[in-house]
Amino acid sequence: MTRAPRAFRLDDPNVATVKPDELPPEGRDIVITEEPPEAIEAADGALVPIPKRRGPSWGGILLSALGGLVMLAIGIGLERLIRDLFAAAPWLGWVALVLATLALIAFLAIVGRELAGMLRERRIERLREAAADAVAVRDHAAAKRVVRDLIALYGERAHTAAGRKRLAAWSEEIIEADDRIALAERELVAPLDLAAKRAVANAAKQVSVVTAVSPRAIVDVAFVVFAAVRLLRRISMIYGGRPGLLGFLRLARAAFGHLAVTGGVAVGDSLVQQVVGLGLAARISAKLGEGVLNGLMTARFGLAAIAVCRPLPFLREPPPKLGDVAGELLGGTREEAAR
Amino acid sequence: MSFLTGIASRAGAAAQGLWEAGNQLLQPSLRLGVTGLARSGKTVFTTALVHHLVEGHTLPALRASSQGRIRRARLDHQPDDAVPRFPYEEHVAALTEARRWPRSTERIGELRLDVEYERASGWRRGPATLTLDIVDYPGEWLLDLPLIEAGYRDWSRRTIEASRRLARAAAAAPWHESFRVLDPAGPADEGVAARASDAFKAYLAALRAGPEAVATTPPGRFLMPGDLAGSPALTFAPLDLAPDQAIAPRTLAALMERRFESYKTHVVRPFFRDHFQRIDRQIVLVDVLAAVDAGPAALAELEEALDQVLLTFRVGRGGYLAHLFSPRADRVLFAATKADHVHHTSHDRLEALVRFLVARAVRRTEAAGARVGTVALASVRATRETVVREGWDTLQAVAGTPEAGERVGDEVFDGEAEAAVFPGELPERPEAVLEGAVPPGSLRFPRFRPPKVGRDALGRPGRLPHIRLDRALEFLIGDHLA
Repeated sequence: MTRAPRAFRLDDPNVATVKPDELPPEGRDIVITEEPPEAIEAADGALVPIPKRRGPSWGGILLSALGGLVMLAIGIGLERLIRDLFAAAPWLGWVALVLATLALIAFLAIVGRELAGMLRERRIERLREAAADAVAVRDHAAAKRVVRDLIALYGERAHTAAGRKRLAAWSEEIIEADDRIALAERELVAPLDLAAKRAVANAAKQVSVVTAVSPRAIVDVAFVVFAAVRLLRRISMIYGGRPGLLGFLRLARAAFGHLAVTGGVAVGDSLVQQVVGLGLAARISAKLGEGVLNGLMTARFGLAAIAVCRPLPFLREPPPKLGDVAGELLGGTREEAAR
Repeated sequence: MSFLTGIASRAGAAAQGLWEAGNQLLQPSLRLGVTGLARSGKTVFTTALVHHLVEGHTLPALRASSQGRIRRARLDHQPDDAVPRFPYEEHVAALTEARRWPRSTERIGELRLDVEYERASGWRRGPATLTLDIVDYPGEWLLDLPLIEAGYRDWSRRTIEASRRLARAAAAAPWHESFRVLDPAGPADEGVAARASDAFKAYLAALRAGPEAVATTPPGRFLMPGDLAGSPALTFAPLDLAPDQAIAPRTLAALMERRFESYKTHVVRPFFRDHFQRIDRQIVLVDVLAAVDAGPAALAELEEALDQVLLTFRVGRGGYLAHLFSPRADRVLFAATKADHVHHTSHDRLEALVRFLVARAVRRTEAAGARVGTVALASVRATRETVVREGWDTLQAVAGTPEAGERVGDEVFDGEAEAAVFPGELPERPEAVLEGAVPPGSLRFPRFRPPKVGRDALGRPGRLPHIRLDRALEFLIGDHLA
């Protein structure tokens, strides 16, 4: 049922104008409430993340140049060695040549894999930036491109088939740019979020248990680092990355950068919960408190890892909070403390 | 002949391109084209844009501005001395002091703005200057651009076919009447040509005055002749030629063809070469609400006009070499203006309408390389948002000062009294308007006077409120301020 256009004069004695938090005066038939002018910005509410662009650094150039020199040195050493071996006995020379060739092939394969991993990481990163841009200016064509790229990214995963099919069916529909990306988020990325959250929760639990029972501090540190590395790789794989060593370092840097900015605490996380849980655990045993602390740290790192590995920014899906991945940890300690 | 002039104009354009490439190295500049059909709010958009940049207001969605990296912007001397300057000061005074909308301009205007900002990416960080040239021109001129690739015979046929459509029959009847006395093979008489042209112009004027109020039929300069009025280049008309009829020399048809070509040479090509081709970013303002208000025919006309506009961004495109000569606009934004006439809960529907209108054109242009965006904005926000409660009924309305003589229902306004206006509900599906599911009179968008913005105690001019102007700017120039 559509309603006809109408106008209400504000100077009409029958009309009362009030601010949002005021009570309307008695005896007026029509009450007009003014809304704050910021309502539009609030309704638009698209968060604009700041992209980080880095040019090549001098340190990088230095390392590359030194690396090149080392490679040359190795090359010339090998060449000498093979020549000497040929001089000593031809069959030794041949064996050395075959070994050198084998080493070269393996080296190229490793480099290729590293590059492919890096490119894939970068592709995911670009996708995330493009999605944020498309949402910020409601760019229809860009949103379509983002969804298409996302479908391509997850094209080889069988369990996304249904979601991909539904998305492809919507691709010609006229829908809002942000709705389109949000649909893709719901269909393709939300199931991965669950898996990632589970991975973080598991890692956090493991770390807290291991550090609580481990006899030596050095073991604690080693295990925390090991768990963090494994977690980052795992999350990256969940979201479609295949990081090699270089790609992994890149991701780790991004995750630590993210951690430094946010402190790993999402909006709406209650610090009280953490402090209470930790305090209770520490009251019982210093070692147990340490375990919980390490578990929390791992969980925070896991959240940062999710933020840098996810191919889309969090649009409609709620970003995971510390409580989601470490709630068990805190709840568990509280129960233990109560016992 | 037209082939030769084509080559000449391309060579000219190439030389100009080289010259500009040289200048670009010394001082980077960005040309922002602002256009839209008549009454779509071009002048207000340009004025508001310059106002916010020059006064240094924070625009949250423009990243450079929200990060505080824009230090200041000032007006500078424009590069083209032959183009009228956009009278910014006059328009701002009209908006803020007299509270009336600036006069509409029917010609091109240009303004140069130097934006000093801190560069935050790339090799050269730190202070930098972006020279922003804003070119404001009537959207009707864009509709002329497809003529460049059309011949006279072709254009005649299409124009006459379009005029025979049912919706235009009434406006075109007197003009069609004149075909009976016109003989394309007759002598090339000046009087006959002038009469034919006048009949054609009357038809165009009737189209413009009709309820559709959208002129989608080129030549655009016929209705805004400027100083070319009465010249032979503007005295021609389409003729009802038989498909296989040859055009003999010294006949009326030959005269008309010649003048059609000179219209292209003296009016269309200079505009293409001097202005359109040099635009880097383009915003096309569309008054969607007025078209929805006027009904399905108006919306269909508007859709066709926008399609034509987007088509012009492909003129001369294709091929690698053509890149040198073709328009270089790499971002085009379609903006539904006057978003302040509806409550923000309806903005989604308004945006859906724009997208629907440009969808056909976008699909065809997507491959042409330009990014196309849509937004619903109000360059100057004339209303506040309110909720009206009457008994149990709740209406989401906008409040402002309707202009004198505006009427909503039984209420007629005097231009001083404020009122909350509920404009009706925009259709959920854009197609509904074309299907005629929106009964006439179920929507009413009265014009509001500009908002009250007084000077503060220090005498500084107030800040003109806006809706999503910052978002539009981020799309148009944001990447150059990164």
